[in-house]
Amino acid sequence: MNLFQRTIRELHQMLVDREISSVELTESVLGQIDAVGEKTKAYLVVTRDLALQQAKDADDRLRAKRDVRALTGIPIALKDVLCVKDVVSTAGSKILKGFTPPYSATVVERLEAEGAVFLGKTNCDEFAMGSSNENSGYWPVHNPWALDRVPGGSSGGSAAAVASGEAIAGLGSDTGGSIRQPAALTGIVGFKPTYGRVSRYGLIAFASSLDQIGPMTRDVVDCALLLQAIAGHDPRDSTSSPKPVPDYLATLRQGVKGMRLGVPKEYFVTGMEPAVEQAIHDAIRLLEQQGASIEEVSLPHSDLALPAYYIIAPAEASSNLARYDGVRYGHQAEGARNLIDDYMLTRQQGFGAEVKRRIMLGTYALSSGYYDAYYLQAQKVRTLIIEDFKRAFEKVDALLGATSPTVAFPLGAKTQDPVAMYLNDIITIPANLGNVCGISVPCGLADGLPIGLQVIAPGFREETALQVANAFEAATDFGKLQSPLMRAAA
Amino acid sequence: MVVLPKSSLSSEEVEHVARLARLGITPEEVVRYRDQLRHILDAIDALNRADTSRVPATAHPLEERNVMREDRREPCLPAEAALKNAPTREDAYFKVKAIQE
Amino acid sequence: MAVATRYEVVVGLEVHAQVLTQSKMFCGCSTDYLTTPPNANTCPVCLGLPGSLPVINRRAVEATIRTALALNCEIPEFSKFDRKNYFYPDLPKGYQISQYDLPFSRNGHLEFDVKGDPRRCGITRVHLEEDTGKLLHEGAIDEAPSSLVNFNRAGVPLMEIVSEPDLRSADEAREYVMRLRAILQYIGVNNGDMESGQLRCDANVSMRPVGRTEYGTKVEVKNMNSFRAIHRAIEYEIERQTEVLETGGRLVQETRGWNDTRGLTVSQRTKEFAEDYRYFPEPDLPPLEVGREWVAEIRSTLPELPAARRKRFIADFGLTPYDASLLTSSKPMAGFFEEAVRLGAPAKAAANWILGDFSRLLNADHKEIEEASVKPTHLQQLIGLIDSGVISGKMAKQTFDAMYRASDPGPALTALEGSSQISGDAELEGIVVQVIAENAKSVADFKAGKQQALMFLVGQAMKVSKGRANPQRLEALLRAKIS
Repeated sequence: MNLFQRTIRELHQMLVDREISSVELTESVLGQIDAVGEKTKAYLVVTRDLALQQAKDADDRLRAKRDVRALTGIPIALKDVLCVKDVVSTAGSKILKGFTPPYSATVVERLEAEGAVFLGKTNCDEFAMGSSNENSGYWPVHNPWALDRVPGGSSGGSAAAVASGEAIAGLGSDTGGSIRQPAALTGIVGFKPTYGRVSRYGLIAFASSLDQIGPMTRDVVDCALLLQAIAGHDPRDSTSSPKPVPDYLATLRQGVKGMRLGVPKEYFVTGMEPAVEQAIHDAIRLLEQQGASIEEVSLPHSDLALPAYYIIAPAEASSNLARYDGVRYGHQAEGARNLIDDYMLTRQQGFGAEVKRRIMLGTYALSSGYYDAYYLQAQKVRTLIIEDFKRAFEKVDALLGATSPTVAFPLGAKTQDPVAMYLNDIITIPANLGNVCGISVPCGLADGLPIGLQVIAPGFREETALQVANAFEAATDFGKLQSPLMRAAA
Repeated sequence: MVVLPKSSLSSEEVEHVARLARLGITPEEVVRYRDQLRHILDAIDALNRADTSRVPATAHPLEERNVMREDRREPCLPAEAALKNAPTREDAYFKVKAIQE
Repeated sequence: MAVATRYEVVVGLEVHAQVLTQSKMFCGCSTDYLTTPPNANTCPVCLGLPGSLPVINRRAVEATIRTALALNCEIPEFSKFDRKNYFYPDLPKGYQISQYDLPFSRNGHLEFDVKGDPRRCGITRVHLEEDTGKLLHEGAIDEAPSSLVNFNRAGVPLMEIVSEPDLRSADEAREYVMRLRAILQYIGVNNGDMESGQLRCDANVSMRPVGRTEYGTKVEVKNMNSFRAIHRAIEYEIERQTEVLETGGRLVQETRGWNDTRGLTVSQRTKEFAEDYRYFPEPDLPPLEVGREWVAEIRSTLPELPAARRKRFIADFGLTPYDASLLTSSKPMAGFFEEAVRLGAPAKAAANWILGDFSRLLNADHKEIEEASVKPTHLQQLIGLIDSGVISGKMAKQTFDAMYRASDPGPALTALEGSSQISGDAELEGIVVQVIAENAKSVADFKAGKQQALMFLVGQAMKVSKGRANPQRLEALLRAKIS
């Protein structure tokens, strides 16, 4: 078994035991990037020199047994929406081509403090807007399970990197499913924490009231370890919660015996693939066998989550993306006659079609005469969705459903139909609007393509989601499945 | 089967919105975006099914209130770091084209 | 025969006041932007870099509530920030964090007076926002081939104080701003500097026939950076708009810039289409619950405000309402006056000196009273010397000039007490003897009962003394010698 195929927990033990060095481990992962990077196109930038330097520093720490933490020496991939000081950070957009921030995101600083190793910036849909990674301003990402298929999105690069052995773990961001859906489609674990659990400072914003950074890992334990490192209050993010962060490992292995798990009937949406539906039913039965009591619940406003999301997120995005005007950083058009032409041209050239579509939709929804009908109404519907979850969680500890209604689809299959593309996120979006947390964990294969089980827990009950996901993973072998690209190297 | 959108979003509205958002678009794009946005707006119309007459809006998901910092100075960026990504600059200033409209 | 319509002017003012804080509104950058090199006073937050997030400066919020309380506003229990979306190169994020429908305060009023007559103007709201950066260009903004941008000022906390359209003359508008500025200085939230733009004023000016209640077409006037400019610009607009109306023309709603050197307002190019600011709640900032205890705490720190101080000056010191208004229009000036009185100077004399010679000298130098080397103790001593008859009023005026010009007024005062003063009766007696000898006729007239003759003799004696003698003392000596 190659080092790059292992989990954080295994590698941590090997590093602590001096069985391997972080430099060896990092070289192993960089070697896999060299081997399959051209196939997945998971990275936009590989920070080889930085990674090896950080690995050396981590080895010093390990050798001196000084401040050794769970992630010390572990190579990690960072989604390109995260600012890393002096490393090109573009959010997958041409409008930020060459932009090197003079500061790092809080999560990046926290991982640095842990002694983690940064492999580079992973590809994503431009400004995290997309569900297939085909909206990247640079190039699409290919699914390590089937290279002609999408890895999901928007954190498709981090997902593909973790699934192909091009990273031990990765960070993604999730506004409407952008961690969970690609995790499901690439057979890894992806966790969207509760809004406010992880600082957004230095996360290039898509929709400020929904964006959340989270871990993408090989298994649930790794997920808990990575979340532990990045969660917690940050005075630089006014929307980060001051609630204390529990010890996620402490409750991880307590199982589901005696837990009440709800199955929202609305989550079995029309258009769901039969194989996916079957896998979810099987997963539910398995958890029941583990001692959980299962009951059907209703989240009656679920069908309104998608339309509400496609008002709120574009509205916030239209404002968040106004700063890309070519004055202080990023792309600036050539040949404009005056300032307003410069703005129009710069943004016409710098943004891709999906980003422009959402900017226009959001601008329209906020504009005079439409605000009440669209934006305000969407915010009220958001309240209804929050209340749906509150009522459900009075009865159950967590909710179960599919992450994505389909397995990975072929590249190009949905690019011409925005509405069809938006439907990919129909079961992930409610968790973003509802201020709850959701994890996707592998629960089977259909024709060799991964399926994800979604576990949704109440706000700031990440430990519950992890506990259920871990119980499921422990009772199956799905967590041990490796993508063909990773297996091939063994 | 071709489903005709119910939304009556006009090309002029698309042009107006694009201008508000400072997005240059070609005449062909105006038509394409108009048609796509009509379909999207049709799907979004489902929102109006919900009776929200007595529902408050959620603008801020968290319960936290009065999040403030004390009035203390922190170091600024070195001016060179502030300017290093500028596409066009003159000395220590960012430079922009004529502001006439 | 057509009856000429009489028009009245309706003015509402929007005053922008930078809040005196150490750090900016949403980041830790210093607010001391005037002295730093361009763009050296910035960070990811105030430059609007991708991924940066704002955090509210508590002191700026408290200063806004403080101001609102001083302006008799209601403070709602719930408030929030909103984004105002528009593109401009001095606006780093493409939106300004401001307050839209739930500002920190509303429904206040400001009392002031115009030449002693009381007036009252409604305050619509006081809200908090962030300032923009600054553009530099050669010549007029719409003619320059390019502009340079400096973001040092971007993010400085800025209060917007919006008045009701209650003002009815240029005089009222000027007095309103003067009184508002005094209040802002009194409560320590703004330095009152209009020249450098730390206090800025825009005016909405319209005309309507006397007796009408609906408003006429509103013109927004900008770029007025002194009290005088506010007054002149509004006077100009009254004249311009009246002329348009009287010649049957129609006014257009527009923004006009005041050109101080040419003494007129110029239409600023109307935008191609109306702006639509697309306000929505700022998702990066949780809302604020302004608890009543918090408001009470802020209220308890409010100092005595100009209106109260003015009343006290009239009641306690017997000043005229006019003098009291002038003195209390500036906190340092009122403080100077009170300190001089506390040290023993008679109130009326102290007020006269401060509002007379002292103000004249300060105005000529564009200086504030606290910058002058003359301190309350110096003024009190000078008045003391006059009152004890040591020096004449004329001498005192010359001495005050000298004191004002000196970096240390002390020596000029000591010199008066020493060499300049003819206090010894011996020297005065010599003068009196000389004057009696040289003016026998007047001496005879006085002896015959002509009181004016004595005054003539005193005048002659003053001449001989070159103004250095005390006239009361001379009079007494002359009386004694002649009778």
